[in-house]
Amino acid sequence: MGMKPGAGMKADAVVVGAGVVGAAVARALAVAGRRVVIIEQGVPGGAVSGASLACIGTHMMDEDELPLLKWCCDEWAAFAEAAPDFEYSRCGQLRFLKQESERRSADEWIGIETAAGLSPTLLDPEAVRRIEPELTGPIHAATWSPNSAVVNPFLAVRRLLEAAQAARATLVSRNPATALRVVGGRIAGVETADGPIEAGIVVIAGGPWTAKLAATAGVQLPIVPRKAQCLATVSVPRSIRTVVGACKAEGGVDAGYTQIQQAMSGQILFNTVLEGGVTAAGSPDDIPEVDRAFIRDSIATLLFLFPKFAEIDLLRSWVRYEAVTPDDRFLTGPAGPDGLFVAAGDGGTGFVRSLGMARIIADLVAGRESPFRRDLYDPARFDRRAAA
Amino acid sequence: MSGPMRRIETDLLVVGGGPAGLEAARAAAEAGIAVDLVDAGFRPGGQYWMQDPTGAAPLSVQGEEGAAAIAKSQASGVAFHAGAEVFAAFPDRRVLANTADGPIEFVPRAIIVATGAHDRAMPFPGWTLPGVMTPGAGQRLAKLGGASAGERVVLAGSGPFLLAVAETLVKLGKPPVALIEARHTDLAIIAHLARHPGRWREAARLLVAARAIPERRSGWIVTEAIGDERVTAIRIAPVDRSGRIDRDRSETIGGIDALLVGWGFRPMIELTALLRCRHEHDPALGGWHCITDRASGRTSVEGVYAAGEVTGIAGAVPARLSGRLAGLSAAADLGADTAGDESERASLGEQLARARAFSDGLGRLYAPPADLATLAQDDTIVCRCEEITRAEIASAFAAGTDAVAGAKIWTRAGMGRCQGRICGAAIADIAAAETGITPREAGFNPPRIPLRPVPLSAVLEATRDGQE
Ligand SMILES: Cc1cc2nc3c(=O)[nH]c(=O)nc-3n(C[C@H](O)[C@H](O)[C@H](O)COP(=O)(O)OP(=O)(O)OC[C@H]3O[C@@H](n4cnc5c(N)ncnc54)[C@H](O)[C@@H]3O)c2cc1C
Repeated sequence: MGMKPGAGMKADAVVVGAGVVGAAVARALAVAGRRVVIIEQGVPGGAVSGASLACIGTHMMDEDELPLLKWCCDEWAAFAEAAPDFEYSRCGQLRFLKQESERRSADEWIGIETAAGLSPTLLDPEAVRRIEPELTGPIHAATWSPNSAVVNPFLAVRRLLEAAQAARATLVSRNPATALRVVGGRIAGVETADGPIEAGIVVIAGGPWTAKLAATAGVQLPIVPRKAQCLATVSVPRSIRTVVGACKAEGGVDAGYTQIQQAMSGQILFNTVLEGGVTAAGSPDDIPEVDRAFIRDSIATLLFLFPKFAEIDLLRSWVRYEAVTPDDRFLTGPAGPDGLFVAAGDGGTGFVRSLGMARIIADLVAGRESPFRRDLYDPARFDRRAAA
Repeated sequence: MSGPMRRIETDLLVVGGGPAGLEAARAAAEAGIAVDLVDAGFRPGGQYWMQDPTGAAPLSVQGEEGAAAIAKSQASGVAFHAGAEVFAAFPDRRVLANTADGPIEFVPRAIIVATGAHDRAMPFPGWTLPGVMTPGAGQRLAKLGGASAGERVVLAGSGPFLLAVAETLVKLGKPPVALIEARHTDLAIIAHLARHPGRWREAARLLVAARAIPERRSGWIVTEAIGDERVTAIRIAPVDRSGRIDRDRSETIGGIDALLVGWGFRPMIELTALLRCRHEHDPALGGWHCITDRASGRTSVEGVYAAGEVTGIAGAVPARLSGRLAGLSAAADLGADTAGDESERASLGEQLARARAFSDGLGRLYAPPADLATLAQDDTIVCRCEEITRAEIASAFAAGTDAVAGAKIWTRAGMGRCQGRICGAAIADIAAAETGITPREAGFNPPRIPLRPVPLSAVLEATRDGQE
């Protein structure tokens, strides 16, 4: 059980949110010698991170972010070496093309990534089946990114938190930070129902709830919640080996998005969102059911690729609200009063990026230079653009 | 394989064909409303009014009552869909069910949820051995297949339902060899019964069944089932009046081949929870149950009604009454001419209150003992689907997570095929015992689409023309 904040709980830094981002930030700060309290309103890893497919990869993500993404992938591999098992598996990633017209985009991505020192290739259907034998559907081709990995999202968050706790961080769960404390223009900690936690540094890693807490100190952040959904089958013998997605292209899987993989438990996890279905608004506090069109499109895509799976039982569905920013990149860095930082706005692929965001925060707190382009993530970048 | 989908537009969809659902459906149909009733069983009747799947004549009083109720519902024009398992429901009240002939989509104007209850199991050492099952499973085996769970059966746990199972087994000519009831027999039970003369006949009947059991203990609890291939013996220990188990005075009962052990029932709230109706937790009502307006059966969600055990464990009499009330008020809300029903509804309401007082009292009297969550030992498997032990769950709590949701995320307990239906309440109790929160605070696994595993092909067929 987590601790309770009592009168006079003090720390160097409070990290709000025990999702993968908060856990990674807490670990980075604690390992650097800071006394850290992580405060979580629900159960650790129970929000977006616990709903994640947790693919750790660089493929068809964001050209400008490639150096950071590469660093993140290496860092995950290193953490898998160091920490107890969290089902890290470098299984590789396939992105299928339905038709010839998607070739241009595939070639472009392969060019970009090759220039960055990665080794993606384009495979014909026969070569695809050598890697993924059950993928017998009528695809045109697929790109192959051998370095992509997956982790078990629950265990990965748990291991990051354990590493933070081993460096003397304290975890407080089922206890929301209700407001930021600001004294004399500087951050002074957070308020909770059980009393304040005092700290000169607060990092909000609250996923889709981040903007709400920031607003208590008058800080406006452009983060909106976006509905993310997923389906799972019952456990079946190992039949999907890689992460299978759709080629990122105009009109690829009808300009939507798809991801299919099999967890170590044997459950097949999959989702397909076609154009128009991606931006349903809502509140992260009020989680609805998956919608019918999503169920249909996801199953149709899975069976298009893997027709043999038609009689496998569907077991479960889930919905979360992910945090989205105007340019789909994190808001990571200082915001508002001195001592306040944010690391949120994952745009749907924050699992892989979490370790990089933690590195940026740790470097900022230590007053060190980061190896990455901070401007990409600067929380104030939209204000500046608006002013320009 | 699944065939093409059928779509049925109707006024009222009743889910569940037990006493509550059958009464609800008939009341609404008689008021002139188009009613469809779905039930997962081969034949409606539910657990209490269980019907022989081959259509053979009923053997028990309950079976006869059930057959009569089914006939009356049929005569009133209710359209039955047996063997149909509801697996999805959407905010627009559309409901998807799967059958051997493919999926059906119901498009009703209102829904009455009467899905009944399931057994409340508590993990203990040996509970996964063949021959160990819940009393409800034993009862089903006896009523559906005419077979006893074994030649030498022990009945254990708590609650009057144990006596109902004893009665069935006596009728089969296989009286149980022992009855281990955790509750002490005392004046409180007799005093409670004395206040409800309407229940004396039933009580007398059950007592006759109990007398046929050679070894009867009250104030004892089964702490372990022992056996290699199958249960052959049990360890039992006394429980005191405050629910503490005294393992120092343990005894062994050998020479058995089946153990039916259970702690009453839990409301089957999956569909009402999926429809986002309001729920509350009360141990005397079986834990989480759907909140309804007692006079109308309305839930917190417009157009959704609930009746019977879903609204709190109470047994067949309140189920029938609440079913009829829900059926009448749904019909009225749907525009049926129900002038003249007011006085009947008022009288049903009074009868229901009386019947509920009886069952709520029983529920409190037979509350599971305080130490129940200490039965599972470190190496006892709690989640059978994912094979998660108590120690694994406890260590997740020790590392900083808590509640049913935390156990699930950190250990996978409740993430397997049954989605926590079997172990969910036990995990809440273990969470409470380990971390000092209440079972209510420990929460439950929120049910999601699909409510039961369904082949992908059937789900695809059922959502083909899926709108948002
Ligand atoms: C279906 C699905 C598939 C995905 N697949 C991938 C993938 O393959 N690869 C990838 O990289 N990413 C993937 N993602 C995205 C990734 O999971 C998220 O980007 C990431 O988990 C976000 O982590 P987070 O810590 O920011 O958010 P969260 O996990 O939501 O954590 C935020 C935490 O903060 C807590 N909190 C908020 N406010 C407060 C407060 N005031 N007080 C206390 N606690 C608070 C919340 O309760 C929550 O636990 C996927 C997401 C989904 C839903």
